[in-house]
Amino acid sequence: MITNYIKIAWKVLMRHPVYTFITLFGISLTLTVLMVLTSFLDHLLGPHYPETKRDRSLYIMQMALRDSTQQGQSSGPMSFRFLTDNVKSLKTPERATICTFVNSSNAYVGSQKIKLNTKFTDADFWRVMDFTFIDGKPYTEQNIANGDYVVVINDDLRNQYFGRGEESVVGKPIEIENVRYRVIGVVKGSPFTRPFSYADVYFPYTTPRSNYQESGIRGNYISIILAKKSADIPAVQAEFQQRMDQIPLPITYYGAKYTTLELNAETYADNFLRPVLARDTGLRTILFGVIAFVLFMLLGLPAINLVNVNVSRIMERASEIGIRKAFGASVKTLVWQFIIENIFITFIGGVIALVLTGIVIHFINQSGWIAYADLTINLSVFIISLLVCLLFGFLSGVVPALRMSKLSIADALKA
Amino acid sequence: MIRHLFRLIWNKKRAHTLLIVEIWASFMVLFGLSTLIVVNVRKYQEPLGFTYDNVWAVQLHNNQDTTDVASKLLRIIQRVRTYPAVESASGMGDNFPFSAYQNGSSITYKKHDVQADYYSTDDNFANTLGIAVPTGHWYRSADSVGKYRPVVINEQMRKELFAAENPLGKIVNDQYKIVGVIDNFKAKGEFMANRPALFELARANNTWINTILVRVKPGTDAAFEATMVKAIASQLPGWGVEVDYLTDSRKNQHNLVLVPIIIASIVCGFLLINVALGLFGVLNLSITRRRSEIGLRRAIGATGSGVSTQFVGETWVLATFAILIGLLLAVQFPLLNVFDLRVGVYVTAMGIAMLIIYLIVTLCALFPSRQAALIQPATALHEE
Repeated sequence: MITNYIKIAWKVLMRHPVYTFITLFGISLTLTVLMVLTSFLDHLLGPHYPETKRDRSLYIMQMALRDSTQQGQSSGPMSFRFLTDNVKSLKTPERATICTFVNSSNAYVGSQKIKLNTKFTDADFWRVMDFTFIDGKPYTEQNIANGDYVVVINDDLRNQYFGRGEESVVGKPIEIENVRYRVIGVVKGSPFTRPFSYADVYFPYTTPRSNYQESGIRGNYISIILAKKSADIPAVQAEFQQRMDQIPLPITYYGAKYTTLELNAETYADNFLRPVLARDTGLRTILFGVIAFVLFMLLGLPAINLVNVNVSRIMERASEIGIRKAFGASVKTLVWQFIIENIFITFIGGVIALVLTGIVIHFINQSGWIAYADLTINLSVFIISLLVCLLFGFLSGVVPALRMSKLSIADALKA
Repeated sequence: MIRHLFRLIWNKKRAHTLLIVEIWASFMVLFGLSTLIVVNVRKYQEPLGFTYDNVWAVQLHNNQDTTDVASKLLRIIQRVRTYPAVESASGMGDNFPFSAYQNGSSITYKKHDVQADYYSTDDNFANTLGIAVPTGHWYRSADSVGKYRPVVINEQMRKELFAAENPLGKIVNDQYKIVGVIDNFKAKGEFMANRPALFELARANNTWINTILVRVKPGTDAAFEATMVKAIASQLPGWGVEVDYLTDSRKNQHNLVLVPIIIASIVCGFLLINVALGLFGVLNLSITRRRSEIGLRRAIGATGSGVSTQFVGETWVLATFAILIGLLLAVQFPLLNVFDLRVGVYVTAMGIAMLIIYLIVTLCALFPSRQAALIQPATALHEE
């Protein structure tokens, strides 16, 4: 039966190449946009190189200090000392790393200038992140204790600074801000869309200009906690919160007295969305309004469009419907036939979209808009898009099919 | 004729509802997008007010070194000025042109308040950025004698604070004395609104004058930069030195504005293609279905162009319905003053959106109408 419907659908498609093109174009374009978007979101939020352990990581990024009148506020990263005291000593997690966010700097090779993004980290950073070492190895607690001037660089900086030679650069000197460091390892770079791991140069926190000696509670360090397994996350958060509650208040910092301290260990998605969600509700409403509107435009309009085209197309087939009705086909059978037909077309569109998405993603990955971009069509994205395919097939099939089923036999045959 | 077309469309309003919804939605999207574009084009057209080629921003971070910061900074600026490759150098805070930082201040004159961008700079600032001072002069260290601090304001500030009065020598905020007025100063690039700005002569003991703007001779390359950075670093052990070219920073600022517009345009373009294709398909079908009607009209003497005009006209009526609904909503923006933009911006945006919609609708209707016009009355009536 179904093969029969599909055969009919194929014949109908071939009869009107123009409408077939319009329908397929609409479906595949919409699905492509959707899939590229999902894949981009997955790139931003999913666990990918080198942050493959995101599902059991907690991020501590912004401390907010407020005074009693709620007038004064100071927020930002923390000092190295504060994090060592309060994060490193936690019992439940597997381990924690303390590092800076991304800073920038310059290096010079002859008359050439290289823009650098730098990061100061501890030795645990290399255990929390899953970097691939192309050459050499990470610095260890021993290097840090010795105060060694060593750095880990990414492959991009290696190529720019040392040239694309075959020989190993481990042990070679590199001069950054007039300090000579020894390269200890080369990693495969991570894209700048992952600011917790992205940098061109990684320094041990004991090297100059890291400001790790700062005595106050604020500074320029953040922390990532790794739980033993993702189920432990609530326990780690609870322990961290307990620790925060024990900090004696009020705190005096740079002459101002703060009575509340707010600092959370959050999962990546929470941390990513908080700057938006934490703001006043008006802004949030506007943001969600805009997102809803864009989604409606991206999904709703093409759907309406498909319904439009399908209604006209099915009406054109009124005589066929009339004959089938006259020979005793029930409304249910007819509705099913048209829904199956539509789902069939949608799936063809889906396949085209898959190919198009592949091309677009390949283009984005190659273009260098995002260095080290690793957008992929993964299984979840594919399943989501298939579901959307089905939804579309259903949406654009049901309305015309119902309308058609209301047609009386006499009218249908006359047309 | 027009009344007739309206009646034709009105009679089939149910069949056309979805089409109207689509055109309406694309009108709204286009209205939003063109508002965004019109606003930014208007901003772009206002001159920047300064030049940025060959200007570098050297940022100094004192890190753990907290002794004598202000005098060290002054010494470095003096040192930088002595290089032959340097034409001019000026110290200022984090909010240098095209940077991500911004300082604001409320300026009061005769109980009238103006929110202004606030810059703390030195006497070489206008020279380094090539700013002309048409009224008065740029402040000099000599101006800072007495009770009042010398300040320079921009033209926008003068307009909002003094209107017709002569601002020179006036005292604002009980502490600033105006010594000069410059034209525009759009520090965040061409896409920034022309806002009031106030420049104050930095005090000698300011520790936050940590950025040196350096205008170098054209053709100076990174080799000089490396020498300069090295010299600064050797004078200031433990400090961080970072050099940005203003041309690069300007590009970053522009991207902040342009990237959202580009994304919105892509989404909008995608929608319009969809709508156009749908419209095309529906029109094509309805014309095929109305063959006999067309044949009859041709038989009683309608010309080919007459028939195609009718179809284009019908589509226009359809679009007009949709646009009227859209306009009803769009008019609320200037009426309720939603985003605090000038009415002219909205009107222009509405005009552009309408024009594009009519254009697309016409293009979509043209081909099917041409086909309709080619129908021979004999064949069409014979089929019937």
